[in-house]
Amino acid sequence: MLWISFIVFIAGLVFQIYKIFSITVKKEAPSLILEDADNKRLAKLIEYLKKTVSTVNLKGTILGTQPHVALLSFIFHVCIIITPFFVLAHNILLFESWRFKLYSFSELTTDILTIVFLSCAALFLIRRVFIRTVRAVSGIYDYLLLLITAAPFITGFLAYHQLFKYETIIIIHILFGELMLIAVGLTKLGHMIFFFFVRLNIGSEYSFRGGSRSWS
Amino acid sequence: MSEHGSTQIDNARIEEMLKQKKRMRIFLSICASCGFCADSCFLYRNYKDPRYMPSYKAINSLGKLFKRKRKVTHQMLEEMSDLIYGRCVMCRRCYCPLGIDISSMISWARTICRTQGAYERYDIDPMGRTKKAAVKI
Repeated sequence: MLWISFIVFIAGLVFQIYKIFSITVKKEAPSLILEDADNKRLAKLIEYLKKTVSTVNLKGTILGTQPHVALLSFIFHVCIIITPFFVLAHNILLFESWRFKLYSFSELTTDILTIVFLSCAALFLIRRVFIRTVRAVSGIYDYLLLLITAAPFITGFLAYHQLFKYETIIIIHILFGELMLIAVGLTKLGHMIFFFFVRLNIGSEYSFRGGSRSWS
Repeated sequence: MSEHGSTQIDNARIEEMLKQKKRMRIFLSICASCGFCADSCFLYRNYKDPRYMPSYKAINSLGKLFKRKRKVTHQMLEEMSDLIYGRCVMCRRCYCPLGIDISSMISWARTICRTQGAYERYDIDPMGRTKKAAVKI
């Protein structure tokens, strides 16, 4: 069961990468800004970032228009990535099966991260319900995906504190976690891959670097 | 919009055109409906009406065409062209945090609408009267 979901997850990631490559082509002409064309090295990238961040370039992005929501979104995404990796219980299971473990947070830290994540998710839900612009484009699918994203954290929290029947909750936790992993490859959670590929790799007004590919 | 356009909708043509650009379907499937694109549209900033949001325009034109393959009606196309011609000036300034090229979606929806006879008539004023030519030929 776990393996099926992991295979679907990895296959989904590969599928997303394939999709992005299939809709983009390698840029034919060199970049107009020549010094940005050679930005493969880290030093160049840092120099470029310094230049970008210090100027008014960020004004049009969400950091300029809605800084609070940008911060909220950043915290949400950091929590969703790091929390599952460094939970003590996950690492113990990993060690029991493969004799291998990652650094794990203390249980209090994990609890705090989970609560921060869930409050971010709740704020996102409030934003989706009450802000007119977001409500105009949301469908039932968006609420469902937010639920799928938050459910592993809710059930994990409940399971750790043993608030309900532990066995039932942990099975629901596992199922929701697997569902989320599967959803990454197939639904709009695919922005996990899409974001990095497009913003870093495609030359456009808002890409972080010069970019080496463009839309086909 | 186009009183003189043909009322026959060529659904097969629409379907063919939707398949032609693969990236449009992927863009629509990736859009997280976050609403961040609203502030990049100067029409939205002026009117504060969600119908001016870039993602609203794209979802309700191209997204609707994808949803209703072969069942597109003329009235739907009229509504769409009101949205994508009347509420968008194609300045290509839409900003998507995920990197979706929203303006290309609106542009493609315009192209599809134009093949079916739903387009902006610049020679007719909002009251439906034919405008006089500014320069006599």
